[in-house]
Amino acid sequence: MTYAYLFKYIIIGDTGVGKSCLLLQFTDKRFQPVHDLTIGVEFGARMVNIDGKQIKLQIWDTAGQESFRSITRSYYRGAAGALLVYDITRRETFNHLTSWLEDARQHSSSNMVIMLIGNKSDLESRRDVKREEGEAFAREHGLIFMETSAKTACNVEEAFINTAKEIYRKIQQGLFDVHNEANGIKIGPQQCISTSVGPSASQRSSSEIGSNSGCC
Amino acid sequence: GGGCGGSDLPLRFPYGRPEFLGLSQDEVECSADHIARPILILKETRRLPWATGYAEVINAGKSTHNEDQASCEVLTVKKKAGAITSTPNRNSTKRRSSLPNGEGLQLKENAESEGVSCHYWSLFDGHAGSGAAVVASRLLQHHITEQLQDIVEILKNSAVLPPTCLGEEPETTPANSRTLTRAASLRSGVGAPGSPSTPPTRFFTEKKIPHECLVIGALESAFKEMDLQIERERSSYNISGGCTALIVVCLLGKLYVANAGDSRAIIIRNGEIIPMSSEFTPETERQRLQYLAFMQPHLLGNEFTHLEFPRRVQRKELGKKMLYRDFNMTGWAYKTIEDDDLKFPLIYGEGKKARVMATIGVTRGLGDHDLKVHDSNIYIKPFLSSAPEVRVYDLSKYEHGADDVLILATDGLWDVLSNEEVAEAITQFLPNCDPDDPHRYTLAAQDLVMRARGVLKDRGWRISNDRLGSGDDISVYVIPLIHGNKLS
Ligand SMILES: Nc1nc2c(ncn2[C@@H]2O[C@H](COP(=O)(O)OP(=O)(O)O)[C@@H](O)[C@H]2O)c(=O)[nH]1
Ligand SMILES: [Mg+2]
Repeated sequence: MTYAYLFKYIIIGDTGVGKSCLLLQFTDKRFQPVHDLTIGVEFGARMVNIDGKQIKLQIWDTAGQESFRSITRSYYRGAAGALLVYDITRRETFNHLTSWLEDARQHSSSNMVIMLIGNKSDLESRRDVKREEGEAFAREHGLIFMETSAKTACNVEEAFINTAKEIYRKIQQGLFDVHNEANGIKIGPQQCISTSVGPSASQRSSSEIGSNSGCC
Repeated sequence: GGGCGGSDLPLRFPYGRPEFLGLSQDEVECSADHIARPILILKETRRLPWATGYAEVINAGKSTHNEDQASCEVLTVKKKAGAITSTPNRNSTKRRSSLPNGEGLQLKENAESEGVSCHYWSLFDGHAGSGAAVVASRLLQHHITEQLQDIVEILKNSAVLPPTCLGEEPETTPANSRTLTRAASLRSGVGAPGSPSTPPTRFFTEKKIPHECLVIGALESAFKEMDLQIERERSSYNISGGCTALIVVCLLGKLYVANAGDSRAIIIRNGEIIPMSSEFTPETERQRLQYLAFMQPHLLGNEFTHLEFPRRVQRKELGKKMLYRDFNMTGWAYKTIEDDDLKFPLIYGEGKKARVMATIGVTRGLGDHDLKVHDSNIYIKPFLSSAPEVRVYDLSKYEHGADDVLILATDGLWDVLSNEEVAEAITQFLPNCDPDDPHRYTLAAQDLVMRARGVLKDRGWRISNDRLGSGDDISVYVIPLIHGNKLS
């Protein structure tokens, strides 16, 4: 399937915060409670529709273990977006955000859009990090913020799509050099400008969703 | 590259990564990132035979695709049903079963219907296109199976040396004494003084060919058949480029390492390095290439000289005496420079930069049938050999521990890491992993790829001591030998 743009994302954060589940929920629309630890890197991809444009998201799901940090550091290169994930039921994963953010900022292109995600919002009773704390951290560091649940799928689409919208906005503002692949953006093989007539165009693309559709 | 085989033709197999990685098309696309260079490893849900570890990384931009390929499987080698009488005929089997050792033979008869399982690992490093490497990674194992099928019954019958001539009654001398003679002479070793009591019944001496030599021969034939198949099929398919091939076969308790090209295999046993292959490059094969060119000068198309000089000869040096060497020399001598010596040398360049006719830096492998010297009609293929060097390692001779491994890797690894550095990395890494973690060998392979790729610094990929990392495709197997203990 052709696309207008391809954006590369990277998902980062401590082990067990739900990175792989978020990816699976986004690409396959399912939740698999028990699955293997990510070692190294795994990939996912999905087409989304932003402003009537087909955009392919290429998502790199990285291992959270400290021992893999030196290996995965180069994976920031050429990422247009990063999802920085913590677990709202485990404060230490929130405490580690600064170190993740430093890593990301140091090894990525300066234009990379970072979305902060407080995951497992379905576990309200075990909440250990207040939503306001996440919001404050995001504000302080210039990130976008959402709480999600990879289990109920709440806000998962939105997290990925809002990041894409922000990248798209930056492209339109001329902040991204789309011809430099090191920025994590590729122009599609053939720009498909036609309105979505073919059945394939609407097959997997998501409709636009307001950024505040509140299910959480 | 010089080869521009019909690109209108369909691919024999689509490009992809090794089947055992189980990557989707999207994942293959993601992995081909020359900037971030993700290290791909076996997914946790996937297992290779013997818990073999594997990791790979794509090049830093020298080619769109990762041109390394790999495959790994357990083959079952079984005598072909209704095979053309290439095995001893029924008669001789019957007759032999009347021997005192009838019980053992009975067992063998039953086993005859069962196949022998054979573990297979392969690694290919493609050049000038990914076609040949992809084809070889899919098909070489079938050629190996086919070659082994013809001899599997002979191999299983390890007590009796392979017959010199198939279908021939071995009983030119009384069956018993002959068998005994052979066994006895094997035991006593070569050159044992003939005891006067041994009846001199033979009309002429006969070489004793041990079983493992038949396996070596089968592997050599398989490489040749693979190369011929690529040659045949390139009229109907687009099979681009060529590739090196390094394979390991474990059969009846022995490892056979067959190498054609510049990949490398080493065993690390108790921290000690045992090389299991050697590389075939313009430098290591200089004399073979020079001799071929000397015998068949037309292969040089009047543009190259088979002689080697320490540097390019200049016209103004005509008549002077310069150091040179010919196919018969490893040392150097002086010769008077003639017109012919001004031609470009058949082998030129040093180390990794050495090339045959300024074109190719590896002298054995598969494919390359259309490869020509740039802008000429001179074919390279006559200088390339598909014959592997095969080394044998007897697994039963040593009780292997969990950290004893066989490493196979393409030159992307060995270009930047020495055998000693690889051994050191392995002996540091493995003891620090849980010995029961089935993933430990994959993590070790990942560690090796990481050490060769390095980390991205401002000025490119760097490895230890601020050396330059390898910008090549890098693929590594770590094969634990402890599984060999259970065999035989
Ligand atoms: N209740 C709940 N559990 C989740 C959610 N996301 C992930 N998990 C669980 O958290 C654990 C770790 O998830 P995983 O995706 O492997 O984390 P990763 O290490 O960051 O990739 C698994 O047991 C998941 O079932 C969520 O949104 N809600
Ligand atoms: Mg994970």
